[in-house]
Amino acid sequence: MANQAGAQNAAQSPRTAVVIGGNRIPFARAGGAYAYSSNRDMLIAALDGLVARFGLQGERIGEVAAGAVLKHSRDFNLTREAVLGSALSPETPAYDLQQACATGLETVVGLSNKIRLGQIESGIAGGVDSASDAPIAVSEGLRRVLLDLSRAKTTQQKIRILSTLRPKDLSPNAPGTGEPRTGLSMGEHQAITTAAWQITREAQDELAYRSHQNLAAAYDRGFFADLLTPYRGLVRDANLRADTSPEKLATLKPVFGKGLDSPATMTAGNSTPLTDGAAVVLLGSEDYARANNLPMLANVVDAEAAAVDFVQGDEGLLMAPVHALPRLLKRNGLTFADFDFFEIHEAFAGTVLSSLAAWEDEEYCRRVLGLDGALGSIDRSKLNVNGSSLAAGHPFAATGGRIVASLAKTLSEQGGRGLISVCAAGGQGVVAILEARN
Amino acid sequence: MSQENGATDLVQLEAVPALAGLYRRALLTTAARRVARKGAPSDLPAVRHRVGGVRVELPAITCFQHLLGSAARDQLPSAYLHTVAFPVAMSVLARPDFPLPLLGMVHLSNEVRQERQVGVSETLDVVAWSEALRPHPAGTQVDLMTEIAVDGERVWSGRSVYLARGIRAVGAPERSPVERPAFVPPVPTGLWRLDADLGRRYAAVSGDWNPLHLSGPSARLLGMKGAIAHGMYLAARMVDEAVPAPSGALSWRVDFATPVPLPGRVALSFASPTGEVAAAGSRVDVVGWDAKRRRPHFTGWVRAE
Repeated sequence: MANQAGAQNAAQSPRTAVVIGGNRIPFARAGGAYAYSSNRDMLIAALDGLVARFGLQGERIGEVAAGAVLKHSRDFNLTREAVLGSALSPETPAYDLQQACATGLETVVGLSNKIRLGQIESGIAGGVDSASDAPIAVSEGLRRVLLDLSRAKTTQQKIRILSTLRPKDLSPNAPGTGEPRTGLSMGEHQAITTAAWQITREAQDELAYRSHQNLAAAYDRGFFADLLTPYRGLVRDANLRADTSPEKLATLKPVFGKGLDSPATMTAGNSTPLTDGAAVVLLGSEDYARANNLPMLANVVDAEAAAVDFVQGDEGLLMAPVHALPRLLKRNGLTFADFDFFEIHEAFAGTVLSSLAAWEDEEYCRRVLGLDGALGSIDRSKLNVNGSSLAAGHPFAATGGRIVASLAKTLSEQGGRGLISVCAAGGQGVVAILEARN
Repeated sequence: MSQENGATDLVQLEAVPALAGLYRRALLTTAARRVARKGAPSDLPAVRHRVGGVRVELPAITCFQHLLGSAARDQLPSAYLHTVAFPVAMSVLARPDFPLPLLGMVHLSNEVRQERQVGVSETLDVVAWSEALRPHPAGTQVDLMTEIAVDGERVWSGRSVYLARGIRAVGAPERSPVERPAFVPPVPTGLWRLDADLGRRYAAVSGDWNPLHLSGPSARLLGMKGAIAHGMYLAARMVDEAVPAPSGALSWRVDFATPVPLPGRVALSFASPTGEVAAAGSRVDVVGWDAKRRRPHFTGWVRAE
């Protein structure tokens, strides 16, 4: 029954979009190996690795879509500039997309849809972010003075404008992690949600530990050999701690939620660090893949975005995927039982565990999600089997590309169906389904 | 590009010499020569200077790439390999038995053949020598040869032609100066805006602190009207913009016509010659010129295979 509905949905789609492969550079901790590499540098490094892997030198790709969350104003055309600096044909069109941490996944969704509609045959989706090379802007006061100065005609006008400048105007503005509407940092928002769902410190540390274990194991068995190109001396993710343990994680001091009534549980170990990196995914139609003798790892089946009202306190900032998922499952006639792999982005261990708890909570699923009962439980052995952001790090816009490429490869090796869930700032989230081809 | 003279000494240097020291030494040599008014000898020293085990520093290479406006990729820009080898070549020029004064020599052209792309972590062996001392209508010219090898395999070789203006080391030129055809600027495809501090910034990333490039006063000491851009900056930028992402062999040549004053603007033309056989690799022809005075700064080409 479930599969029938899924097949019906697929039948409405004229074509299939497939994941051909992916490439990323190892993720570095902010201020580390990529401290002086720009977003453009890293995106080009990821693109050129992909070009080399799939023999795309000089090829005109249907479209390249990528983005960055922390972006310099000079990088308005970041993706197109990266294409021009890459080994792809300069006749490859490109566009920038920005949906906070969902950027990377959304580029995959958008280009897959174009492929399914027959608008393009091939596409490269992805994202990049540098927390090290972050833009710093002049203060609002100085900016206003400089703009007025550029319009002033007489010396008198210029002197009058300059006289309005105050010493405090000379201090620059660095990007913050606060939500513009609430002033709370993402970590503080998640701390509220983590406490509301009564997620324990132990459960969060355990999830972080498993993330490191799974990522280390994936490296050890060579899983990333054809998903990753070394860059600037890094050959694996700098944040990975293969030797960490729940005991070590338990020694870390809480950093978020210290002002709440309940004990603070979120530490640097069970939260993602600021990270630099880039990831891209090669997508194509089946015809394109066959004509170019390229592998087809998995089909991009469907996706759903959601947003929640976190401003009035109704819902947690990072809970939008919780809302998106039941809608996506219903449209495709699927349940959790139909999935073999779950990729739930670990912005914080608390985010993953709050989501799982919400889907298991009958009262919440009825009242908030409008379901008949609990959505269900996820078998932990199917969750983030090759590690996720707590271990790899999380260069915001690059995370979607990392997850899609890893999941597609897992599906090509083991078969089955996979679910991706990515939360994002602004109370948004995107979820997607990938399916093995056999 | 090899010189088999039989009796060539190989001088093994401990490390890549610092250019600043070489320039200081050259300054003294020039002064001593002026005082002694010695006639320049007419033979090039039959030596090759070699430095093995050269590693590049990642932060330095990133700064070099960013100054050119190119991406910080994990391959060394072809011109950066020249920069790595350059001090070794300069150490040949700075030898007391080298017949021409190092300082004030004019860089006429560069031609490079790179067999493959070189990664930032590879260990380089550099060897440099001089050859082909010959007359030029305006003085004497000499070829500086450099080769870079990795694990005994040559990956990069370059010939830089230098002119010692007004010095007659090897007799009069055989031909009178050739009349240059009038320069007709091509359709511009680009513009480089070069800041006054570019020479100092390029010196910082390349190590080439030649006074010609640093400031007006230091350039005037050497007979220039003001500071001029490093030829290798222009060449490096030309190569990078012509072929932003080379993956295999790369050849390029640049011929310098008139110096680029700093600050300054260079009009650019990048064009793929029509009728070029695609199988021979893509070639890009480049011209850089002064749009106001309508005179060329440099011409060149880059071919990727």
